[in-house]
Amino acid sequence: MRLFFKSALWRGLVWQAIGWLAGAIFVTLIRLVMGLQPLGTFFFTEPAWVFGSLVGALTFLAGSGVVSDWYAWARGIETPEHREDPDSWEKYINVSLDHKVIGIQYTVTALFLFVTGGTFALIFRTELAQTGLQFLSLGWYNTFMSLHGIVMIIGILVGIGGVMNYLVPMLIGADDMAFPRLNAFSYWIVVPGVVLLLSSLALGGFDTGWTGYPPLSARAPVGVQMFFMGIIVAGWSSILGGLNLIATTLRMRAKGMTAFRMPILIWAAMATSLITLTAAQLFGLSFQLVLFQRLLGMGFFDPSKGGNPILYQHLFWFYSHPAVYVFVLPGLGIISELLPVFVRKPLYGYRWVAMSSMGIALVGFLVWGHHMFASGMNQYLQVPFMYSTLLVAVPTGVKFFSWVATLWNGKIETPTPMLFVLGAIVVFFLGGLSGPPNGTVATDLHLTDTYFVVGHFHDTIFGGYVFPFFAAIYYWFPKATGRRLNEKLGKWHFWLFFPSFIVLTLIMMRVGLIGMRRRIADYDPALGLVDYHIVMTIAAYLIAIATAIFIYNFVRSIKHGEVATGNLWNSRSPEWNVPSPMPVHNYDEPVEVIGEPYDYGLPGSQYVRFGTKE
Amino acid sequence: MEHTNEKDAFRQGAIVFIFLAVLTALEFFIAVAIGAVILLVAVAVIKVVLVVWYYMHIYKLNRDATGDHHSLEYKTDTFRLGLWLFLLSDSFVFGGLAVARFNLLGLTRPHLNQFLGLIVTSVLLLSSFFMNRAETAMSHGDRRGFSTGITVTLVLGALFVAGVLGVEWPSAIAEGVTPDASAAGAVFFMMTGMHAFHVITGLILLGTVLRKGRMGIYTAEKHWGVEAAAVYWHFVDVVWIFFYPALYLVGKLL
Amino acid sequence: MRHFVIVGVLVIPVSILTYFGIQASHLMPVEASVQSVIVDQVWNWDMMTLSFLFALIMVPLVYSLIVFRRRKGETGDGKHEEGNVKLEVTWTIIPLILVTAYAYMGAYTLGETRVADPNAMVVNVTAHQWDWAFDYPEGFTSNELHLPINRQVELKMTSLDVIHSFWVPEFRIKQDILPGRITTLRITPVKLGSYKVYCAELCGTSHAYMQRPVIVTSQADYDAWAKQQAAAQATLLAKGGPEAGKAMVAQNGCGGCHSIDGSKLTGPTWRGLFGSQVKLESGQTVKADEAYLTESIKDPNAKIVAGFPANVMPHFTLTDQQIQSIVAYIETLK
Repeated sequence: MRLFFKSALWRGLVWQAIGWLAGAIFVTLIRLVMGLQPLGTFFFTEPAWVFGSLVGALTFLAGSGVVSDWYAWARGIETPEHREDPDSWEKYINVSLDHKVIGIQYTVTALFLFVTGGTFALIFRTELAQTGLQFLSLGWYNTFMSLHGIVMIIGILVGIGGVMNYLVPMLIGADDMAFPRLNAFSYWIVVPGVVLLLSSLALGGFDTGWTGYPPLSARAPVGVQMFFMGIIVAGWSSILGGLNLIATTLRMRAKGMTAFRMPILIWAAMATSLITLTAAQLFGLSFQLVLFQRLLGMGFFDPSKGGNPILYQHLFWFYSHPAVYVFVLPGLGIISELLPVFVRKPLYGYRWVAMSSMGIALVGFLVWGHHMFASGMNQYLQVPFMYSTLLVAVPTGVKFFSWVATLWNGKIETPTPMLFVLGAIVVFFLGGLSGPPNGTVATDLHLTDTYFVVGHFHDTIFGGYVFPFFAAIYYWFPKATGRRLNEKLGKWHFWLFFPSFIVLTLIMMRVGLIGMRRRIADYDPALGLVDYHIVMTIAAYLIAIATAIFIYNFVRSIKHGEVATGNLWNSRSPEWNVPSPMPVHNYDEPVEVIGEPYDYGLPGSQYVRFGTKE
Repeated sequence: MEHTNEKDAFRQGAIVFIFLAVLTALEFFIAVAIGAVILLVAVAVIKVVLVVWYYMHIYKLNRDATGDHHSLEYKTDTFRLGLWLFLLSDSFVFGGLAVARFNLLGLTRPHLNQFLGLIVTSVLLLSSFFMNRAETAMSHGDRRGFSTGITVTLVLGALFVAGVLGVEWPSAIAEGVTPDASAAGAVFFMMTGMHAFHVITGLILLGTVLRKGRMGIYTAEKHWGVEAAAVYWHFVDVVWIFFYPALYLVGKLL
Repeated sequence: MRHFVIVGVLVIPVSILTYFGIQASHLMPVEASVQSVIVDQVWNWDMMTLSFLFALIMVPLVYSLIVFRRRKGETGDGKHEEGNVKLEVTWTIIPLILVTAYAYMGAYTLGETRVADPNAMVVNVTAHQWDWAFDYPEGFTSNELHLPINRQVELKMTSLDVIHSFWVPEFRIKQDILPGRITTLRITPVKLGSYKVYCAELCGTSHAYMQRPVIVTSQADYDAWAKQQAAAQATLLAKGGPEAGKAMVAQNGCGGCHSIDGSKLTGPTWRGLFGSQVKLESGQTVKADEAYLTESIKDPNAKIVAGFPANVMPHFTLTDQQIQSIVAYIETLK
């Protein structure tokens, strides 16, 4: 416990509180001097809370020590290139430059966010099981619903950070990322961001959904500013993480690893990073403009000042659509990466699958208007966006056909990681099939803003991210810890989760078609949907139980899991050809690529060899 | 490290600056006499190409993709890639602001002080000239030239900020172009504000690099900090090359 | 080879079963408009294709899991197949042609849903937190949308505050409603009945409850209703006073923010308001007399009561007579 109070985590949080307070007091004093109201609804005024939150994020970074090397360099002082982490759990709550430690920090944080976001969902799912309001007020419902969305989204981005940061250097035969300190920074900036996001609960919540459309967000309670600030701060993780991954992939690959000899997951990571590096800035910008509209009356989206609410939607969705490809591309990469191992066959059409990730990323930049078909945007934009949206089905289809062809004629085994890979394919497929009706304008005008869309995106996100995330953890946990997760519990996790989830999302689509709108705290009894809601709520609880089983398994197996120090899955990939847990500097002998990554079934073929040091 | 001698490199930098100055005058003339947006865009693009090629030396990117991952050259090339990726990311912010400007104001523009606009633009362009000189000096081992160049750049940069925040802003407010009056005011203040924020962070970088230079930390072979500060500084200038016509020149007065 | 044949054959019945399963589930609400018929046609085409695609992927997937499973004691790897360029090109080109065709069909049907009838009846719709008001060509306002069957209505919609959206599930097409501009929606009802319009864009606290009846009747019944409504409103308004005011208040949804029972909602309660002393944000105290109330309706931001938000109450377009009657009504609330 004492170790906790010496940690970067603790120091950062304490300094965040101090900075927040100092910033808020500073603004309050200025307001006093200027003759403005010094105090507001939540003691401090909104500008004080906002400015304070910015200062607090900066003091978190300073206090945690994550920027200390850069600060030293700025003063002309050199620092050692590598740092030794202590050989205990305290390295996980301190600043480490080791991508494996950072990857685990990200992953554990992601699990925390899922539990938090999932709890919010359970709360309002319980409320929705019957018509009428049982225990939530309208305002609290809207806040929990909004927070569920954004907390889950941040959880996905953080989880992706975890998987990519842990795996990419290993898979390309490198010792670490190109910029280890930037990597640490990208993790640690998430923490103050999440603090801000959750602080909205204490500042009146916010009733706008994670999409934050003005004019509603311009008049929402102060909590909406904490939502905006939380994203503006935490978003840097995604942007800088993407930068690091691109630089690492281009500059740190092992000898002989040409583009088409890279593991498929690297292609996926690259495509994902191109999006997070660029489009993510627009997420911050759209929030920044509403933030300033609230603080200074700048009428970007206020029609009475010549502003345009639809401009917000364009700016927002220009990021937020590609964002969903950020959510799924890594997971689809994980599916492609793991199938060959459990089918003992090459990934069918590897090159074209690699290209399909890039294709999805590229086309993904061109479709954002499909979120706005009913918005009142220029009508002549509807048809082009419909064409581009339906076009995304082509590279996505390439993946599905390839996966089926990979399974065909294979020698299939289904331990837990493979179960989650298969579950991912099925669930993502359901999501994908429900896509085109949304992408076609005429049908979308019925479907938009209903639970049909909610079902569609839960399927795509769980299939594209959550299931593969579980698969990746079951698969690589031994690499990280030298022990494996319990298979029996893993199967319980899967067989409780998978059918419940399918039932949940199919019902979501059904009730949406009949007339259940999104984001409503209560629904019209005349629609006759109560029974469906009861089933959905039960399904949600089953999913929660399955997740609890997983978390129990995860925590227990760290110290008590069955020992697994060798090439447990008989993989060709370089990281499995060194012992588990992974050595601190990854590869003591440099990796050289001498063959194809997925030549399972080709006798005598080798992917990598370990050369001698010069 | 350049293979030309310092004098030739200085001359090249000066020639580029003269081109930029002439193009800026041309730009103003086009705006006043012709008003064709496409021409203004073309001039801005040419200016940007000049800066990105000659001042930001983009051709240095990924020159050495093979080679020893632990060598200084390789690491510097990796840093260079990282910086350019960051600038690519940052340009999306400014791109988004430009989109907002054209969506809200179309082909109209707010009433601003043209004389002031020309002055601050010239000051910033001139600062890029001196920045290039400073970087060139350092890559030839000329520590004195470097020091002088950075100092002048800093002063000019500070003048730019003073000009925009200290003179242009109050002037706009006096004209009724305030942040909360209209979309035009909101756009003007947000665009110039975000840009000025980047100039100020650039000044901090310059100050850091000047100090480290005086401490003798940089050499002709090893001065990544200088290159980074320079490339960042020119990027800020590139943004203004687009923002200046977008705010001052394009479109009819509201 | 035999595996291909089995799978190929199985795909057909699975597609058909899936499609008929979907159809039997009656997923869509009743088709009550010309537009819903078109939308449902597109939907059905989608379901057919979807069913086929579902079978095309799921059958070989499940088949593989059964037939190509590693049996106990079996060693060795799967068949070393890296790919087949022709096949991969095929499964790129064919979907590409298909999506292009679908997009084309989508564009065509979209046009069909938008066909404008020059003789459409125009109804002005005002949406605001959290109610609907409909202005009819016969010169009256109602909180209910009554429509004559088989006649296109052109809804011209605006919001007084935030973004809302007009949606009747049985009519299918929805359209967002924005402040500061007018968006339009054309619907031709083809089935008599009682439906509901729901707000379909999150608009704040009571978004869930923002709904009103939509009644489709015969032309004759509609005309009778309209005539009766117009007359009743004209009479009421001419009479003025609190009764007319009460109707105005109901029409304009003031109750969404102002309670009459003393409870604090978004805006100050009207109970006991008239004649009372009101403390403002600025610190001043004023009397809530007729002048104050009239000003508060005409220019909501002129005087903000302490503890309540500015820039929230919309600007309503009401005549002086209508405002007078509302004030008279407020006066009666003790």
